[in-house]
Amino acid sequence: MSGLAFHLLRHRMGGAVATFVALAVGVVILMACGVFLESGLRYHGKSERYAAADVVIAPSNLTVTSTDFTGETSSSTVVLPERVGVPAALVGAAAAVPGVASATGDERPWLRADRVDAVLVTLTPGADRAAVTAALRRLAADTGATAFTGTDIGLVEEPAAAATREMVIAASGSFGGYVALLVVFIVAGTVGLSVRHRRRDLALLRAVAATPGQVRRLVLAEVGMLAVAAAAVGLPLGYLAARGTRDGMVVRGFVPESFTVTGGALAAPVVGAAVALVAVAAALLAARRTTAIRPTEALGEVSVEPAPAGRVRAGFGVVCLAGGFALTTVSVASGGFAAIGAATGMLYTFVLGVALLGPWINRAAARALAPVLRRVWGPSGYLAAANLRANARGMVTVLTSLVLAVGFGGSVWFLQDNLERQTIEQSRDGVRAERALVSPTGVPPGVADDVRRLPGVAAATAIRRTAVAVRAFDGPELVAAQGVDTDGVDRTLDLRVRKGSLADLRGATVAASSVQAGSSGWDVGETVSMWLGDGTPVRLRVVAIYDRGLGFGDVTLPLDAVAGHTTSDVDDRVLVRAEPGADPADLDSALAALAARHPGLRVVDPDGLIAELTTDLALSAWLNKLLIGVMVGYAALAAGNTMVMAALARGRELSLLRLVGVTRRQVRRMVNAEQVGLLGMALLIGGAIAAVTLSSIVNTIAAQRVPYVPPLGWVAILGGTTVLALLATVLPVNRLLRIAPVAGMGVKE
Amino acid sequence: MSATAVQIEGLTRTYGAAPAAVTALAGIDVVFFRGTSTAVMGPSGSGKSTLLHCAAGLDRPTSGRVRIGDTELSTMSETALTRLRRDRIGFVFQAFNLIGALTVEENILLPFRLSGARPDRGWLDHVVTRVGIGDRLRHRPAELSGGQQQRVAIARALVTRPEVIFCDEPTGALDTETAAEVLALLRTVVDESGQTVVMVTHDPVAASYADRVLVLADGRIVHDTPQPGAERIAEQLARLGRRQRVSVERV
Repeated sequence: MSGLAFHLLRHRMGGAVATFVALAVGVVILMACGVFLESGLRYHGKSERYAAADVVIAPSNLTVTSTDFTGETSSSTVVLPERVGVPAALVGAAAAVPGVASATGDERPWLRADRVDAVLVTLTPGADRAAVTAALRRLAADTGATAFTGTDIGLVEEPAAAATREMVIAASGSFGGYVALLVVFIVAGTVGLSVRHRRRDLALLRAVAATPGQVRRLVLAEVGMLAVAAAAVGLPLGYLAARGTRDGMVVRGFVPESFTVTGGALAAPVVGAAVALVAVAAALLAARRTTAIRPTEALGEVSVEPAPAGRVRAGFGVVCLAGGFALTTVSVASGGFAAIGAATGMLYTFVLGVALLGPWINRAAARALAPVLRRVWGPSGYLAAANLRANARGMVTVLTSLVLAVGFGGSVWFLQDNLERQTIEQSRDGVRAERALVSPTGVPPGVADDVRRLPGVAAATAIRRTAVAVRAFDGPELVAAQGVDTDGVDRTLDLRVRKGSLADLRGATVAASSVQAGSSGWDVGETVSMWLGDGTPVRLRVVAIYDRGLGFGDVTLPLDAVAGHTTSDVDDRVLVRAEPGADPADLDSALAALAARHPGLRVVDPDGLIAELTTDLALSAWLNKLLIGVMVGYAALAAGNTMVMAALARGRELSLLRLVGVTRRQVRRMVNAEQVGLLGMALLIGGAIAAVTLSSIVNTIAAQRVPYVPPLGWVAILGGTTVLALLATVLPVNRLLRIAPVAGMGVKE
Repeated sequence: MSATAVQIEGLTRTYGAAPAAVTALAGIDVVFFRGTSTAVMGPSGSGKSTLLHCAAGLDRPTSGRVRIGDTELSTMSETALTRLRRDRIGFVFQAFNLIGALTVEENILLPFRLSGARPDRGWLDHVVTRVGIGDRLRHRPAELSGGQQQRVAIARALVTRPEVIFCDEPTGALDTETAAEVLALLRTVVDESGQTVVMVTHDPVAASYADRVLVLADGRIVHDTPQPGAERIAEQLARLGRRQRVSVERV
């Protein structure tokens, strides 16, 4: 079978190349994700100072055990964002454990005198390792710390490595998941289309003496060969792509220099096999329709469109659309990546619905468009409308891939813009101070008090950025938080409180963003549990719910509550509000004088704060933009791919039209009219899906009903789709039109 | 070996569901004998192609029985039917008989490639010489004329030494001269190798090459005559055409 398959493939380079490209690009992206995942799993930081230690006692990670609704308990761990060290007394205690050769404290200057960052322990040669380690574990547990051994030591020495590891694993895992679904969509569509275009050959084979099984094996062999070729090209490229991305991430500070791209030995076979499996399954499904037809179809001169799709398909399609709308009401977490995930899920559900309902959508659209096409394009428009109606089912793949590209471009890409814009807008509107004090090494505590004593100052608020852990449905989840001076905070910050009051924020209290309150089910007056950045459990009463969570973090605590629970006991900024009528020049000189007493301290105006934020955001958006760009690009490529395939499969049809007297110009106009109809549909449906997806998510996480779409964005989507559709159809059709019509009618299809 | 190549009893074939059902064959009883050629004729829609498809196991009867030699077709699975077609039946269609990706030789040997059997090179040489395409084996179908393509299709039908060769309008896409060559070729297959040919055709001249002519109308056999000559055939068809026109006018 494979010899025959190879022959057939070589003869149909168009379809084969299109399938190969769809498979290979999918392999490249998935392989890059896989390599990252693998590298993340293998990454344990780099131990230098701690390299000699056998055991390191350091603060515990936060492990939360939860019971899900099936009654199963599971525990998950987060690495704590704030490192406050362990009691210095542990050094002596550890040294006293029998079998310990030495125990030294790793001290950091900014920690309190009675604490050390970690205790490095070496064992005496010949000591019972297991017993000594167990003793150290018990000792550590008594003070809430943990004794780490082996590769975990690297993560303790380089806390950034632990965060990197988690970020890389989470990002490559979830992005890989979205891409995997995209690959399924695209590969299934492309392979299905290529098998469909060959119905006549397959039917002839059946008539001449190929059993249904042989036809299936033939199709499998073809797709299998393409999948192997795609893996051969895509796997190395994917590895290189991962390395390139890693370098870009290092430059932008997403991962430390010590993070290296290693392996691929695990990812390569998994990715290669998974893509091949999807392709083969799609081919079998597409061939099932073809092998089931009677061989008599080959006897007919024209391959007739198969019978209209069944009710089951329509039912599933309606369920998917309904599911997509249902998803719009589900609240989502506010993190950038979580929002993109939610948008992607919604989008896939809608697109799947469109793919299933495609035959009906195409037929209805063809009927609706027919008068327009006839009026504008005359006889060519008449033919175009007839083609759209007759090929309703064959065009589903093309429509779906266009809708996917438009939907992706129109929602996920703009979502990132909306998040950035909202963050900046909220940060700007929420600051009511005229000046702020900042420092690259942090503002020492006490500066805020000094500022308050200056003449002409109405209020000064120290703000410390941190994170807290809250219980999410599947374990602890880190949430951006800020600690603020409670005194006069309502005069320097406007968090747009919608319930309760920030004036009540003192003692064991907390304020939460509406998104956080929504997803955690919190309300004003309730007492809620969470963990501070160093893992200290706290119970706090909710006093206010506010809207500006993107700009200021989803949780706001009194500064007193977070003091002592952050790695470095310094503030991030002090906001300064002037007395009404105070002379700004006097205030500036007073602040400058104060700043001069602390090295690094600077006075900035609110615009200065925003400028800094904008740079930070642009930097952190880089990764999201890259990932989104890859997905949108892949979807667009697939759309172009299927359109080229569909156009090239029309050789016989176009030749026949020319033989019966349709001029070249009319054929071209007909194809243009079809494209306009198809594009119009895709833009309408894709645009509607994007609008629903984008506005529902932006509304949930930023409380903004109408999402922002940059003007250039419209141009890019409309123009990009049009250019793509023209290039991918008009060029191949022009090529077909250069062939003499009589030759085009020959055995070659 | 019996003298019967194909035996058909009480064959009916309807398409579609009850209210809109179309009857293509309304009850056919016929036997095709070994070493003979039969032309099946009739107006468009008379059911002649359906009869051919059912007889060849390409389509399944609604009721009735079809036997190739001693093998009953109606109870066979799709795969078993395919094997039967591969081993015991040859096909020549009106057009598009060949796979464009394969050379002439590969097209001819396709049944062997699919069955995994070893082709008999001597017989292959004999067949391609006889159909006159011995010098075209390395060409692709697109490089051949219509008549040459039909010769290749006939060679493919002959190469497995089938019991019956079914042809559906084998000259339908050919000019008169080329058609005559192809028909003469089919004739020699019957006369020299004792094979059985069943051919559906519109063309009285094509039918005049056959030993026997069946004429179908409305899914039934209305004439079954030994070779009556082209003129008689044309006359019969013309009468049939008038009758049909009259019945159409009455409606």
